[in-house]
Amino acid sequence: MAEVILQLVGASCRHYISAPTLTKPWKKIRGPGIPKIDLALHRGTILGLVGPNGAGKTTLLRMLAGVLPLQKGNVVFTSTKGGQTIERELSTSVELRELIGHMPEQVRWQGKKTVHDAMVEIAAMRGSSEHRILGLIKLVGLKSRIDSPLDELSQGMRQRLTLATALLGSPNILLLDEPFNGLDPVAAQAFAQLLRQLSEKGVSIVISSHQVSGLIGIIDRIALLHRGQLLIEGEIKSVEKELQLSDRFDLTGTSQPPSSELIEKLGMELLEFETNQDSWQIQLKGNADGVLKKLISEGIEIESWQPHAPDLVEMLCSSTGLRVEDVGLEITSSAFLPLIHRKVEEE
Amino acid sequence: MSGKASNLKVISLIVKEKIFSTRMLLMFPILLLFIPGMAWGFSDPNIILPGGHRPETPMEVLFYSSLGIVFGGTMCAVLMAFDGVSKERASGVLEVKLAQPMSRLNQTLALVHGTSIAVIIPVTILVLISAFIIRYRMGVWPELMDLIVHIIATGLILIWYTLFTLIASSKAREQGTAMAFGVGIWFFFTFLWALVTSMVAFASGIAIGQDNDSSWIALEGALDLFSPNGVYHHILETRLSGVQRGVSGWQITIMAIAWTVLPLWILARRMENLVP
Repeated sequence: MAEVILQLVGASCRHYISAPTLTKPWKKIRGPGIPKIDLALHRGTILGLVGPNGAGKTTLLRMLAGVLPLQKGNVVFTSTKGGQTIERELSTSVELRELIGHMPEQVRWQGKKTVHDAMVEIAAMRGSSEHRILGLIKLVGLKSRIDSPLDELSQGMRQRLTLATALLGSPNILLLDEPFNGLDPVAAQAFAQLLRQLSEKGVSIVISSHQVSGLIGIIDRIALLHRGQLLIEGEIKSVEKELQLSDRFDLTGTSQPPSSELIEKLGMELLEFETNQDSWQIQLKGNADGVLKKLISEGIEIESWQPHAPDLVEMLCSSTGLRVEDVGLEITSSAFLPLIHRKVEEE
Repeated sequence: MSGKASNLKVISLIVKEKIFSTRMLLMFPILLLFIPGMAWGFSDPNIILPGGHRPETPMEVLFYSSLGIVFGGTMCAVLMAFDGVSKERASGVLEVKLAQPMSRLNQTLALVHGTSIAVIIPVTILVLISAFIIRYRMGVWPELMDLIVHIIATGLILIWYTLFTLIASSKAREQGTAMAFGVGIWFFFTFLWALVTSMVAFASGIAIGQDNDSSWIALEGALDLFSPNGVYHHILETRLSGVQRGVSGWQITIMAIAWTVLPLWILARRMENLVP
């Protein structure tokens, strides 16, 4: 496993939100936020931070970015010097922000300022020289727009500009909040490729999203967040296994679908079955070794066979023990209900 | 890039953005009418003001034409600053900026400096043009020290209004509220302060508006210390002969510092705790 680069230890951040009452219109209470979290980021890996709306993904990213101060806990940065590993507790947010490139969600750059000037301003705030600006603008594909006013950029271009600002100063850690929103498929693919290249160079990347499927193939690790709590974190395979969501396959075919006896004989479990006039679609669970070959030899006409990627709902249901109706619309609550953590009730 | 150089760069970019904005383009003709326009009017050799006053020295002309700064200059500061924080907060750009290693205090100072300098530069140019107008109309230049005090006092009042409006902008989630707050403060100190003074005088049993009543003059002078416009005029009055309003120089200095430091501290504190 890649070495740890940054750790949040017992970190907490619950900022105040307005809760006016008739007698106290100025009243504020602590929002749900992140009550306590331990999280480690690994060098050269891409972590997918997933969770439903209001799970605390953005808050967690802001904590990691040094935008929201920690109320409790600390941040430990690990570096290597001369083969020695040095752990350093970061005492100020400024120290943390020097290491991090942060790309918030859907930044609407606007005004008469040009793309170049916007970059120059952020570079000045970062204390980095201006000579890298042109290269970064080229990298994100905005070279032709370098002198365009921000008002003239499309949302996709604004996303690219935000990414360019996040890459200023060659950060060790890159935090991306819903980065694929607003990008066209071509740009999204190029963007994913860029992330891969950066991670190969040792940059630790965190991508937040409420869609797991969009992250499969990009991320190495996954962290599932719900109601401000980290339910599970690890490599995708191990998380799938732990949540009992691994070894699932989607099959489609024509004419006769495999019988339930045949599936049982193959040592597989039938999870879903759907049939149309001349085609069918099933989901199987189990050890897939040799199954495809046997199905074909039994005369089953198979059109496609692919591993089933877990989605967020499945992961949430599996890790919390809640039903989809309970998870789906209950976005967030200031009152923390006891969570069922991997089917074991928490205090 | 060193910290200081970074700050200066950010300030210069904010100044550039604001000074060439459409808003400044709209405000400039108004400032032109209010500042050199008033200097032209008040330097008329035949002018007689209500109450029989007649500006006789260049500093008196500058003092009377400072009314244009109180009306136009401060409004320009409000218009430049009302979305200084709220716009970037709503668009998400503030989060990008707050995620940079520059401390929030330095970012705040850069914002205050950038916004106020963007107003101070054109206003100062217009004050200097006023000096030329006075020379042309009265045949005599304003004294250098008078001009320096006038420019410093004008810079201060513009910074104060910028600070008030930026505080509102940092508090308000949307720009309408920030605008209403900024204009409200401007309206209160520019138009309603006379009402406050009158109410206090009435409550104290002092005859209102009697220019030859020393207790009224003293009360008005003292209350003016609690208004940025009042402090501005107190500073300018230090260069006028024969003005005695019962306020000493150290009181004016303390209030000028208070009007600068207090709002700056409030804004810095707001920005320090701001959730983007």
